[in-house]
Amino acid sequence: MSTPLQVYEPFRAGLPPLRKYWRSLWSRRTFISEYSRSELREQHFDSIFGQLWLILNPLLLSGVYFLLIVIIGGSGGAIRYGHLTASLFLFYLVSNSLSGGVKSVTAGQRLILNTAFPRMMLPISATVIAFFKFIPTLFVFLIMRTVLGLPFGWEMLWSIPIILIALMFSLGVAILISTINVYFRDIASFLPYLIRTLLYLSPILYEASSLKPELRILEYFNPLFPILDSWSLAVVHSQTPHLSSMLSSIAWALGVLLIGTYFFLSREREFAVRL
Amino acid sequence: MSSLSASNVEHKTGDLAVSVQNLGLTYTTAIDRRPTLKARVKSLGRGTKQTRIVQALDNVNLDVTYGQVLGVIGTNGAGKSSLMRTIAGIIPPTQGRIEVFGSVSTLLALGVGFNPAMSGRANVHLGGLAAGMTRKEIEDHFDEIAEFSELGDAIDAPMRTYSSGMYARLAFSVAATVQPDILIVDEALSTGDAHFKEKSFNKIKELRSEDRALILVSHAMATLREICNDVAWLHKGKLVSRGNPDQVIDAYQDFLHLGKSSAIDEDL
Repeated sequence: MSTPLQVYEPFRAGLPPLRKYWRSLWSRRTFISEYSRSELREQHFDSIFGQLWLILNPLLLSGVYFLLIVIIGGSGGAIRYGHLTASLFLFYLVSNSLSGGVKSVTAGQRLILNTAFPRMMLPISATVIAFFKFIPTLFVFLIMRTVLGLPFGWEMLWSIPIILIALMFSLGVAILISTINVYFRDIASFLPYLIRTLLYLSPILYEASSLKPELRILEYFNPLFPILDSWSLAVVHSQTPHLSSMLSSIAWALGVLLIGTYFFLSREREFAVRL
Repeated sequence: MSSLSASNVEHKTGDLAVSVQNLGLTYTTAIDRRPTLKARVKSLGRGTKQTRIVQALDNVNLDVTYGQVLGVIGTNGAGKSSLMRTIAGIIPPTQGRIEVFGSVSTLLALGVGFNPAMSGRANVHLGGLAAGMTRKEIEDHFDEIAEFSELGDAIDAPMRTYSSGMYARLAFSVAATVQPDILIVDEALSTGDAHFKEKSFNKIKELRSEDRALILVSHAMATLREICNDVAWLHKGKLVSRGNPDQVIDAYQDFLHLGKSSAIDEDL
């Protein structure tokens, strides 16, 4: 009597067997890269003009917001512009991950109803796509900060752990929102407002240090606040980020990722009958 | 998670392919086809129910051995598709246990492809990767799939431009070409034109072999009588009878008070 290749049993405590889950997730990493590539190709980002647009889009945006700042009476200047652009680029990593993740599960309906695979591949792919879109903007910013004459320094290397934290956070929110969208399909319509609110509550159009003391409380409720603050200090000012900001960034990112993953895994079984 | 990658195990006729033990499946599903936050807020305080609980399968025991071609019949809502999905590992069971001794390829009601904006080629690749195949395995089968589906150049066109027949042809080609140990086909033989219907019917016949198990869900009694060597009849989530195709199908048709009319024999 041979041993079975697959055994399906009821879940314990509502969760699939985790070790097996991660193994099959890992074995399907080619799906994630292939899917991200097809999706980018689909959005024409493999052509020169597509990639140009990828860079042009955030550049134009930062131009528009800079105009807004100057008009409503903020101070202009190289640092200000550099801060605005760098922060917007990182913000777009999170917001692209959110807007790509929200429909990732519901759009994968056919696949989910027909094939057994770890569903978490879908929101993970959304974050990978957002990351691919983020990479070229990094180079644009490097060129821009050279042109603007911003200071260079070893402190800029802090950007690497910050990007990792931002990725972790992006993944967490993508997983979370993709699950919510299965139960409330109209959440996608709220998303633009959510993202816009997050944009204004984060130190992007302004610098964290210039915030009125009574508004500093935002720092504790907006997970992006410490991440973006550290990011700007590292890549724009070439300074070491505050330890407290780094710690709370990590706490937020880990927290959101863990909660999102638990929520996703505990609901995943239902996806096939809810879609 | 099911896997399509080769198991490298030789299967002999009579070896167990799938063993379903005391299987029970309940699930909660939304009443609304498209649940929204708006609908939830509107119904607050009114006590309207948002979900209903479905007992899809109840204490089902079923063994399928290699060399067997099992037809599954039953009225709509009998639990046929639920049974196929649990065997394929798409929905985990609520009770009981399922053991699968081989690679499974499924052709369930919806077929391949999950992004209609992408080409048929990209969808085949992605579907295969999601099912656990390697890039090379897919590459090896791709030409055969494309040829069998008779899509021609359309294989590189976005899937949203496909007709439902083209969709079904591609789906069938994928499931039938990857040489699984166990093939599950759920009412998917019905689409496509007469020519392709005939072709897929012949393909199924060709796939019947000593070292493979086929499970077919269908309402086409004549087809099942011809292809299957075993039939299981499900009713309201329970296994009613199992055995010789002619006997079980006759009993089922008597049960439906329909007798042998051409309407149920002919079409799939």
